[in-house]
Amino acid sequence: MTKINLLSDKRLAPYVFISPFFILFLVFGLYPIGFSIYLSLWRWTMRGPVEFMGISNYVNLLTSDPFFWRAITNTLWLLVFGSFTQHFVAIPLAIGLNDKVLKGKEFFKTAFFVPYITSTVSATLIFSQLFDNNFGWINYLVNFFGGENISWFTAEWPAKVMIATLINWRFIGWNTIIYLAGLQSIPDTLYEAAYIDGATKWQTHTRITVPLLMPIIFFGVTMSIIGGMQLFDEPYVLMGGYQTMGGIANTGLTSAYYLMFTGWSATRFGKASAIAWILFFFILLMTMVNRKITKSLDKRSL
Amino acid sequence: MKRILVFLLVLGAALATLVSCGQQAGAAGDSIAAYDPAQSYTVSIGLYGDLEAAYKEVFASADFKAKFPNITIEYQTSDFGGHHNRLTTVLAANEATNDIEALEVGYIAQFVAGGGLSNLAAAPFNGVSVGSGLVSFAMANATTTEGALVAMPVDIAPAVMFYREDLVRAAGVDPREIENARNWDDILAISERLKAAGQIAFPHPNDVAMVPLSGGKGGWFVNNQPLEPKAKFMGALELVKEIRDRGVDADYGAWSGPWVEGFANGDVALMVNGAWFGGALRTWMAPDITDWRITYLPGKAPAALGGTYLGIPEQVPADKKAVAWEIIKYLTTSENAQLTVFRTIDAYPALVSTYTNPVMNENVPYFGNKPVRQIFADVAQSMPNEQVSEYDATALAIWGNAVTGVITGELGVEEAYNEARSQIIATIQ
Repeated sequence: MTKINLLSDKRLAPYVFISPFFILFLVFGLYPIGFSIYLSLWRWTMRGPVEFMGISNYVNLLTSDPFFWRAITNTLWLLVFGSFTQHFVAIPLAIGLNDKVLKGKEFFKTAFFVPYITSTVSATLIFSQLFDNNFGWINYLVNFFGGENISWFTAEWPAKVMIATLINWRFIGWNTIIYLAGLQSIPDTLYEAAYIDGATKWQTHTRITVPLLMPIIFFGVTMSIIGGMQLFDEPYVLMGGYQTMGGIANTGLTSAYYLMFTGWSATRFGKASAIAWILFFFILLMTMVNRKITKSLDKRSL
Repeated sequence: MKRILVFLLVLGAALATLVSCGQQAGAAGDSIAAYDPAQSYTVSIGLYGDLEAAYKEVFASADFKAKFPNITIEYQTSDFGGHHNRLTTVLAANEATNDIEALEVGYIAQFVAGGGLSNLAAAPFNGVSVGSGLVSFAMANATTTEGALVAMPVDIAPAVMFYREDLVRAAGVDPREIENARNWDDILAISERLKAAGQIAFPHPNDVAMVPLSGGKGGWFVNNQPLEPKAKFMGALELVKEIRDRGVDADYGAWSGPWVEGFANGDVALMVNGAWFGGALRTWMAPDITDWRITYLPGKAPAALGGTYLGIPEQVPADKKAVAWEIIKYLTTSENAQLTVFRTIDAYPALVSTYTNPVMNENVPYFGNKPVRQIFADVAQSMPNEQVSEYDATALAIWGNAVTGVITGELGVEEAYNEARSQIIATIQ
């Protein structure tokens, strides 16, 4: 019998070398993904599969569940006012940081990035103190300027604004650093040529910076869509966890929050998996739309 | 490329199916070996909060050591939320966990219907007869409609009214008026007199929201219909609305700084909570205040606001289940264990025979030198047996938002009830 040496056999060796990745991917990536498809077709509780549901979990969520569409609406609202707004602030900040005359760049870069590396729970707890209905600093300022106490935690729209503020605060710095990296890859010669041609600052930004930054904008917005659609920690901690389902009128109930509630509080794992797959298709669709928009902007600007 | 992706996805799904089938087969019950006093055992126990401190006292007692010299205990203690999240995760995933797991009563419902814990009513445990000396409502809360017992109650939290005698007297209220209140209207009238004298009655309407529902540990569904009988749930909404509308609460969120400090600095004069809250007042919230008193809820209404259970996960190896059950039996049915836990952390015993122990008739200096522990015993024994269901967590979350809606004035009582009911029905489909 001939012995096969896996490492010296030229046909097999490459597969052996790449196998660790595929084995890990199969166990920790593909298996959970496949299992969640299987789960989503069942009514699955703590004792395992109880009843085969087919696509009923999906149909019920999309047609009759009172919280699913509310969670999606909340998520989209927070995506627009909590995630997309970051880019309108981050791009000018990055341009400012990229300016050659600015002093103390390292300090500003660190200061902007610190919220991103701060523990979500710590930051959220501090925000909950700041926004406390009766004793928070924000209401103190509101009172100072003649306003009345705002019920940040117990009124629908103030609670949404509070969550959006926290998300903006946390991620503007991260986006700023990403855009700064993008800006630094734009050759100086283009700006010099524009300067010689007599272009104004505004023209160089609109004709050079933004068009060449488009791939980075696509990346940043895609990351915001993914992060926004998966938003969980901030509203969960701010609004009081599973027991409140997002607080008054479920104002802080995001799709990921509802997914987690359905899985870990209501222990309906099949339904939670169905939510996860619907979310996946939402994210895919939005990313494709984003791709189309950025591509068309890219073409138009060239 | 597409073919490879589809192949990998199908492979993943097939693998998942195979593994899940294997897990279920593995979970099928092996026969449980009898407990052997001559054998040495190490038993792990998953706990939350301050339970470890109390159980360490029990396991260090001479009585326990004499009965179980062969058992060593290992602890895994987490914070309240972390413990229950871990437990839900490992049980749902059919993973191995501690030999004994503690559960707060609020989490019992999902395990009662959902599984994951051994049926202690079955042989060789025979938990129903072992637990015949425990308060019946607590046993009922851990029993499925098919008669399976998923955990044993180890402590309970009968709800009582706490009041500051100095503050109510200063407002011209005789404490006997609180003690003899026939219903919540009487308490609301007293609250208005407190308000007139510049006092605040309750920290927040939420603190009393569950009282008309006997604490809300079960009773959310009657014949699969949520929030029935309607009058009971409407009564709870009307109570919180009255408290807020009459302006007799401080609007302090539970466990916020002002809420905690309010019990020591004289901000609030009344509070409803379980027996354990008396221990919190005495030991760290208001240790220097000598005027907190305890009486029955209005009309001696029964309610329970907490409690701990001990269960054995199904995944515990068969040879460990018997010894785990010996520990649970000791913690739940031995007077030494029950009273030691009570002395250590004020967790009120679930074992009825302890209620006649002299310690339960002692005057408690902190609460006006009165035998207040008998009030807890009375409440515990008059609690109704409520049915729990796997949808309780969902019902509770939806109901909580209805209560908040009424308190903030965003919803009327009828509107909040109807909305909550229709949401629960739609969600549990």
